[in-house]
Amino acid sequence: MDSDMEYSDDDDLDDAMDYYGNEDDIDNVDPKKTDPEFFLYDCLSVDEVEKLLNELVEKLSNTLKITPSLAKVLLNEHKWNLNDIVERYRDNASNLLVSSHIKGGHGKKVTHGTLLCPVCIQSQASDKFQSLSCGHSFCTFCWSTHFEIQVSQGISTQIRCMAPACDVLVPEDLVLSLISKPQIRDKYQQFAFQDYVKSHPELRFCPGTNCQVIIRSQDLSPKKAVCKVCQTSFCFRCGNNYHAPTDCVIIKKWLTKCADDSETANYISANTKDCPKCCICIEKNGGCNHMQCFNCKHDFCWMCLGDWKQHGSEYYECSRYKENPNIANESVHAQAREALKKYLHYYERWENHSKSLQLEEQTLERLKNRINEKVMKGLNSTWIDWQYLFTAASLLAKCRYTLQYTYPYAYFASMDASSARKDLFEYQQAQLEAEIENLSWKIERAETTDRGEIENQMDICEKRRITLLKDFFPTTTNALESI
Amino acid sequence: MNNRRLQKELADIKASGLKSFRDIEVDDRNILLWSGSVCPDNPPYNKGAFRIEITFPAEYPFKPPKICFKTKIYHPNIDEKGQVCLPIISAENWKPATKTDQVIQALVALVNDPEPEHPLRAELAEEFLKDRKKFMKNAEEFTRKHSEKRHD
Repeated sequence: MDSDMEYSDDDDLDDAMDYYGNEDDIDNVDPKKTDPEFFLYDCLSVDEVEKLLNELVEKLSNTLKITPSLAKVLLNEHKWNLNDIVERYRDNASNLLVSSHIKGGHGKKVTHGTLLCPVCIQSQASDKFQSLSCGHSFCTFCWSTHFEIQVSQGISTQIRCMAPACDVLVPEDLVLSLISKPQIRDKYQQFAFQDYVKSHPELRFCPGTNCQVIIRSQDLSPKKAVCKVCQTSFCFRCGNNYHAPTDCVIIKKWLTKCADDSETANYISANTKDCPKCCICIEKNGGCNHMQCFNCKHDFCWMCLGDWKQHGSEYYECSRYKENPNIANESVHAQAREALKKYLHYYERWENHSKSLQLEEQTLERLKNRINEKVMKGLNSTWIDWQYLFTAASLLAKCRYTLQYTYPYAYFASMDASSARKDLFEYQQAQLEAEIENLSWKIERAETTDRGEIENQMDICEKRRITLLKDFFPTTTNALESI
Repeated sequence: MNNRRLQKELADIKASGLKSFRDIEVDDRNILLWSGSVCPDNPPYNKGAFRIEITFPAEYPFKPPKICFKTKIYHPNIDEKGQVCLPIISAENWKPATKTDQVIQALVALVNDPEPEHPLRAELAEEFLKDRKKFMKNAEEFTRKHSEKRHD
């Protein structure tokens, strides 16, 4: 079913192009190639996903002539890859069933007389006993107690045979036929559904609070998905906040590191700094990092406190961490200090852009008030004349978000990436940062007459962002391996 | 139902006369709490006896028993509170048909041959790996000082 859908999507796209007969037209280029963030996905309901999974179960069950319940175990153990399972089954059915924890042990069953249940030490007629393909027999009372206790601990598809060292999984039909309490049956089905979705690489639960939506995509890369119901945006691969150009593994490492080292970092990232020229205390109240001292009018960079004049050019180096070239010869203590300094360099910038994002939201509120005032006074402008500013502000937020997530990448890349690639990344990051601060500065001071200039600056910012993402968008293989 | 199973297990263990697990005591009114002495074969622990308590949950055998050392022991896999990390009785690995006898065998094997790869006391695991001589000396001394007498 997957492949059918994928092709039909492509066909639609091609048809549209053929119809207009201008495949070479620059406006009609394939977004998959031009936009590194392009992501095709669906937002499905629980019912839709159940239907989709059941179709796969039925297909496999018919192809291999096995019960739907066993087909479900096979699919869940093999990431719902139907073709792969069929191929491996044809190659060596027994091997596949053993490695999928369906078959095991001697498989002999006793079907007459009385049996002693090794769990409760009670003798009963053999028809009160059940066993899986492994042949380990237990009484139905013990099985059902086992199921109930496992389900109450959140375990469903991973319930196993009760014999020591036996790996055989209990299929759904046996569990459901022996659990008598309706609320435990419901729980079992709920937990099992969660396991199925988690094992299917094309599906992911929306992480939004109380949201029931399941995102589905054939593109398994760490792209940004936005839930169409609750509007939560997240990385399709790992479910965390979207984090390009950093990959899923690195962002996890980075967030853990930040949580561990927060004490030191908190101390550093205080909200006030002194003007580097007149030393008056300045509190940052906007998102832009291009600061102008209200006292002496000195222009400086909030991040490095350097003169802003040097920031506008391509020598902009505020984002780059310069390692002490002599560090190998220094003492362990000095090396530890250098390591901390290096981390703080990246952390400060990460944290600062996150704060700028928040502050720029406040700036937007102030802008709205200012615009309302001007429109009310009727000073040669209407509300419509100002709309472009809101578009500019949302583009600024998008660019700054990507910029924020370049820092974890840069921190870990600085340890092992080849130096040419690292240089390219730092160069592009610096370019993006310079253009973003430029845009932020212009938005805070905008008039209606600045529209052309700001739109030009927006275009530059977005181009820089796309260029960086095109070159450094996290690869699928990297992200997949360690999750 | 767990009474029937525990009575049977207790009787079987007492009858088997394990050398490495002796002096089993169980309160008549509470069969869910057992105690006994672990007597390892391997140095540096072979000169002493170590009291342990085995606590069975009400849901036994569907949930695993817990083991706690009451005698102090110098061992990478047993911490100062007497807690021990034994995979066979972890919640993920537990099987209702596993017998207490098998649990005790696994425990004795762990005491005899420490597993420094997953330690509860990292500093002892490091000493065990890097300076075996020093570890043996410390553990023997510790055993002499803290462990119970053996009635061999």
